[in-house]
Amino acid sequence: MGALEGLATGFGVILTPANLYYCFIGSLVGTLVGVLPGIGPLAALALLLPVTFTLTPVAGLAMLAAIFYGAMYGGSTTSILVNIPGEAASVVTTLDGHQLARQGRAGAALGIAALGSFIAGTASLVLLTFFAPALAAIAIRFGPPENFGLMVLGLVCTLYMITGSAVKGVLTIALGFLAAAIGIDVVNGRDRFTFGSVNLTAGIELLAVVIGLFGVAEILANVEHLARNTLVAERIRGLWPTAADWRASWRPILRGSGLGFLLGLVPGGGPVTAAFMSYAVERRIARDPARFGKGAIEGVAGPESANNAAVGGSMIPLLSLGIPGNAVTALLLGALVIQGIQPGPLFMTQRPDLFWGVVASMYVGNVFLLLLNLPLVGLWVQLLRVPYRFLFPIVLLLAVVGTYSANKNVFDLWVMLGFGVAGYALRKLEYDFAPFVIAFVLAPLLEQSLRQSLVMSPDGAMILVQRPVTAALLAASAVLVGLMLRRKQRSKGGST
Amino acid sequence: MKRSVFAFALAAAVAAPLAAQTADPKAVKPKDFPTQPIEYVVVYPAGGGMDVTARLLAKYVEKATGDKILVNNRTGGAGMVGHSYLATQAKPDGYTVGVLANLVWGDAMLRAQGKWAYTDLEPIGYLNSDALTWVGPTEGPLKGKTLKEILQIAKDKPGTIRVATVPGSMWEYLVEQVEAASGAKFLRVPFQGGGAGINALVGGNVDIAQGFFAEFRGHLDAGKVAPLAVASAERMPYLKDMPTFNEALGGKDYIWAVVRFVVVPKGTPADRKAYLAAGVRAAMSDPELVAEYRKAGVYFDPALVNSARVADDLNRYAERERAFYQQTGRLK
Repeated sequence: MGALEGLATGFGVILTPANLYYCFIGSLVGTLVGVLPGIGPLAALALLLPVTFTLTPVAGLAMLAAIFYGAMYGGSTTSILVNIPGEAASVVTTLDGHQLARQGRAGAALGIAALGSFIAGTASLVLLTFFAPALAAIAIRFGPPENFGLMVLGLVCTLYMITGSAVKGVLTIALGFLAAAIGIDVVNGRDRFTFGSVNLTAGIELLAVVIGLFGVAEILANVEHLARNTLVAERIRGLWPTAADWRASWRPILRGSGLGFLLGLVPGGGPVTAAFMSYAVERRIARDPARFGKGAIEGVAGPESANNAAVGGSMIPLLSLGIPGNAVTALLLGALVIQGIQPGPLFMTQRPDLFWGVVASMYVGNVFLLLLNLPLVGLWVQLLRVPYRFLFPIVLLLAVVGTYSANKNVFDLWVMLGFGVAGYALRKLEYDFAPFVIAFVLAPLLEQSLRQSLVMSPDGAMILVQRPVTAALLAASAVLVGLMLRRKQRSKGGST
Repeated sequence: MKRSVFAFALAAAVAAPLAAQTADPKAVKPKDFPTQPIEYVVVYPAGGGMDVTARLLAKYVEKATGDKILVNNRTGGAGMVGHSYLATQAKPDGYTVGVLANLVWGDAMLRAQGKWAYTDLEPIGYLNSDALTWVGPTEGPLKGKTLKEILQIAKDKPGTIRVATVPGSMWEYLVEQVEAASGAKFLRVPFQGGGAGINALVGGNVDIAQGFFAEFRGHLDAGKVAPLAVASAERMPYLKDMPTFNEALGGKDYIWAVVRFVVVPKGTPADRKAYLAAGVRAAMSDPELVAEYRKAGVYFDPALVNSARVADDLNRYAERERAFYQQTGRLK
């Protein structure tokens, strides 16, 4: 079956009132889940999983998938409005998105995020439609050495997220690595830094860290002087992106789509990595990188497109090979298994109705999401007029509920609170958090892939240059660091 | 051929293995229980094998008893957080039930530091098992080789055959056993689960992967992996041609499987325990549930299915595991 023929079959399957209904419900729930800080797509999917038992496989999967990509649309909303990321994948959006809101341009940022998400989501689906099997065959050859190269490049990209002092930025990256070392060692199964605590054996929960550092710390910092005010003192200017915003954004959106798609495809990638690497790219190639962190629209357009494209990319190994690349796609796989379907390399040929039905549903879902999100921009912007003393208790409540719901473990709440207080202190000392979070996400993959590579290599570290993809990624990392140092040198030379 | 395997599985499914023990839960229902939903605790994330098992069970227990059941994933510490919760914190009032795998034994013996023991959780029913299987490549120099032949290569050229393992678990123990008995020496590449290892095999990054039937079935059907041997007492119904490790290597202790069962915290009132057990039994004698489990590629251990005293039999398995830990110096 050709791709177009397949897609036609898929639309035939999905364009029934019942299937469209579940796709819409998924889009709606996904948007809400994305908007609400703390409550992530994983918790929502787990909650709605039993509902799918009674549905047909295509309706169930269309709904669950819509929650996943819908959350990527909604995730930027609170990042921009209140500087609290709705999802881990929207952490970088806080950097410039919230600055735009403070300048009264929240509408522009939200609008660009929604349109960028739509363009990226649809572009990644087009790639999925035509190249899924070929891309899956490449993705599966991506082994530990290739992952290591990607993680090193990711680490270098983290450097671009430092907005203030370079020394402090590098220090937070190091702290992120240290925090990630807590828990069972992935290679020989020994406990590290757990001090005999059962709760620390799996390490610290990412969600608790993000909500603590961004949510709780942000609230602590704001209540100091905002208790009687609204968050944005500036008059809210214009609800929609201007022509100038568009001119600045369309290239970042396309770049973010491509990058995000590729990163979604490979096992070490995913929406979080995609978003911050896109940010790094935009900042690297910008004519005036100094604008970043102060409200550059490209810093919203790129990452918000990238995390959506990554969802499309990550559906490829799942649907073509039955390989889940992250926790959310693992849950989608579970949903299929409960339906008695075992996706594998033959899934596409044995169940074309289901494969193409889900692909078609994602095209439809992206349209739903655009139609849902654009009108909502106006409503969200009005939220900024709500006095902070009403807003922050609600946000705090959501933070607590969301953090607890991830693992149903009270310990995570203490972690959240601890990181909240620490984050408040660090903020006073002018440290950036985003590099910390990204280092925390990258570190386990970096360590595991390096140690796996060394174990499986007959000639020790040589494996890292023998594998062409790894060598290329490492070379790119070296070039980036070299450029960064040279710029530093030059700016030093210029100032004297 | 594939279709005939499937037909066999379906035919076998019709004969429900627990039909002999059918008990009506309504007959043993306590007057005052349950008055609120019952929580089935799963210690692994939603969507995984254990979670799917528990959710299917809950669906059929609800059907048999009419009670409301909530499946709750209490995750963390590779299951350790949930296991400790069940053994030390959960109220033994019948409203908390654990749907567990035998990995709880290793946690209790090696990681609980004496704070709790596996006997703090009382088994009330057996569900199913999944035996650890070795699969090899279908291309390259190892194509078409049997386990014996591969072991010979690993003996002649130590450290050249790459095997995917999961550190600190039965994946690693099985490799150890095979190495000790055959003199072979593998290169052990660590992964965080069986599925990741199988992907690495298909991607050409390891030579042998270990996993469960459901994890490699898709690749098997597509001709991307070749079955080598299974670590169970009998051959797998789905793969009659694949030998057991015991047959291939001439032993009797190559038995490593995930055994899934249901527990309540110690001290749960006897009448409530009996009622909960009857609910599980009723669900497991429903041919539809058995068929659903078989679709996921599991098998039913006859020693446990027909057991009159499941708790004692499971505890005997646990003691066999303790003996292995003591032999290998993991436990004093």
